[in-house]
Amino acid sequence: MQEVTAAIDALGLTRRFVDHTALDALTLQVPRNETFGLLGANGAGKTTFIRLVTGFLLPTDGEVTVDGISPSANPAGVRARVGFVMETSRLYPELRVDAFLRFAAGAHGLSGKPRGDAIERVVERFSIGDVLRRHIGNLSKGYQQRVSLAQAFLHDPSVVIVDEPTSGLDPLQREDVHAILGALRGERTVLISTHDLAEARSLTSRVAVLHAGRLVTQGPTEQVLDSNRALSLFEAPEAGLT
Amino acid sequence: MTPLLALIRKEFASLFGSSLAYVALTVAALVTALTFFDHLRLYNQVLFAYASTTMGGFASDSIPDYINLWDLVFFPVMEQLGLTFLAAIPLVTMRVFAEERSRGTDELLLSTKLTPNQIVLAKFFVTFAFVVLMMAVSFIYPATAITRGGLGVEHLAAVFTGLTLHAIGLASIGLTCSAFSRSQLVSAISGWAIAFILWDFGWMQPFVSEGVANVLDAFSLHPRYGAFSEGVVSLANVVYFASLAIVAFGLARFSFDLRRVG
Repeated sequence: MQEVTAAIDALGLTRRFVDHTALDALTLQVPRNETFGLLGANGAGKTTFIRLVTGFLLPTDGEVTVDGISPSANPAGVRARVGFVMETSRLYPELRVDAFLRFAAGAHGLSGKPRGDAIERVVERFSIGDVLRRHIGNLSKGYQQRVSLAQAFLHDPSVVIVDEPTSGLDPLQREDVHAILGALRGERTVLISTHDLAEARSLTSRVAVLHAGRLVTQGPTEQVLDSNRALSLFEAPEAGLT
Repeated sequence: MTPLLALIRKEFASLFGSSLAYVALTVAALVTALTFFDHLRLYNQVLFAYASTTMGGFASDSIPDYINLWDLVFFPVMEQLGLTFLAAIPLVTMRVFAEERSRGTDELLLSTKLTPNQIVLAKFFVTFAFVVLMMAVSFIYPATAITRGGLGVEHLAAVFTGLTLHAIGLASIGLTCSAFSRSQLVSAISGWAIAFILWDFGWMQPFVSEGVANVLDAFSLHPRYGAFSEGVVSLANVVYFASLAIVAFGLARFSFDLRRVG
C-alpha cells in the first residue's frame, strides 16, 4: 500500500466548549495534493475542525499540524501555507473588489510588484476582471464566492480550506464554483467542508464523515459515499464508527 | 509593517465607505453649531439687556464681570460638548470589532499574516484618528469663542487637547465594549453605561467617606476634562486618559485570546 503524506494531520484532536464537546478525539489525515471532503450535518464539528487548523481556536486536547507545523505554536507559519475561503457573506460588502484584493494581498505581506502580480494572477484565474470596480455587496453570490476564492490564492498557499463553498448559491452559481474547485484537483491540497453529498461526490477524492464531533468514517469518496450507505452515515452514524 | 498598513488603509476605506462617518461628522458639527449659537444668542440678549438699562451702554464698566464670552458661551458649550460626545462616540465605536465578529470577517483577518496585536492597533489608530477629526470639526465654534474672548493660542491648544483626550477616553471605552460583543447594539449600550458611570462620581460624595470619595473622584472623566477647559494641562490628567487607552487596548487584545480558548 502506498504511503500517504498528510498535509493536514490531526491526532486525538479535541475541542470542548463550556457546555459541549464540539470535537472528540479526532484523528484524521488529509493527504497532500488531494481534494478532501469533510462531511457532516450542521453541528457535526466541521467548522470547529477548520478553526483549529487555521489556529483561530486552540485545541483542548490533542494536536493538529499543517505541513508539520502546529497552528498553536506557529500560527504565522500555518497562515503562510493556508488559504481560507469563507462563506460569501463573510466579506466586506462596502469595499470595491480591487480595494479588497489590495488589502488582502497586503495582509498576506505582499507589496509593490509582487502584490500587483499576485492580484493580476488571481483576477485572471477566477475571471473577476470585469467586476474589479464594483462593490462586493453589489455582486451576485457567485461572483462574491469567486472574490473569496481569489483572496485565498493571493499568497499561493499549498493548502486551501473551503468552508461551505456553495451555501446560498443558485444551481448555475453552484456549477460555476464547482468548475473552479474541480480545476484545483491534483494541483494543491484542498479541504472542502460541506453537507452536500452530491458536491462531495463531484469534487473530492477522499472524504471523512463527522457526527457530533466524532469521526464516523473516512476513505475514498466513491467507497464511503456508496449510495446505499451515504445517508445512514448522517442518520445513524454510531453503527459505522471507526 | 505591510499587513498593518494594509489593514489601516482598509479600515479608513470601510469607515468612509459607509454613511456612518459622514453622519457622525455632520451630527457633531450641527450639534456644536446649534449649542454654540444658542448660548451666543443668550449672551447677546443679556448683553443688550444690560446695555439698554444702563446709561453707559457697552462702553461703560457697568456690565458685570460674569457676563462674558467665557462664562456664558464657551464653558457651557464645552460642558454640553463633553456630554454630547459621551452619547455619540459609542455609536462610532460600536461597529469596529462587533461588526467583524458578527459577519465572521475576523476569521478572514486572522487567516492572513495579521496578528491580533496588529488588528487591535490598526482599529484603535483609525478610530482615534476619526474622533480627532470629529473634535476638529466640532471645535470650530468654541475656538471662535475663545479667541474672541481674548484668550490666547496656548489656552486654545489646551482646550483642544482636553477635548481630544476626552474623546479618545470615550472611544477607548467604546472599543473595549465592541471587542467583547458581536452585537453592535449591546456594544453601544454597554459603552454608554460605562461612560455615564465614569463621567462623574461627585454625586456619591454624601454617601461615602472622604477617602473613598477621593479615590472615586480620581476615576471620574468630568473633572479631568474640565481642567483642560480651564486651560490647565496637567500631566496627571494626560496620564489618566493615556491609561484608559492602554487598558482598553489590553482588554481588546485579551478578547482575541479569550475567543481562542473560550
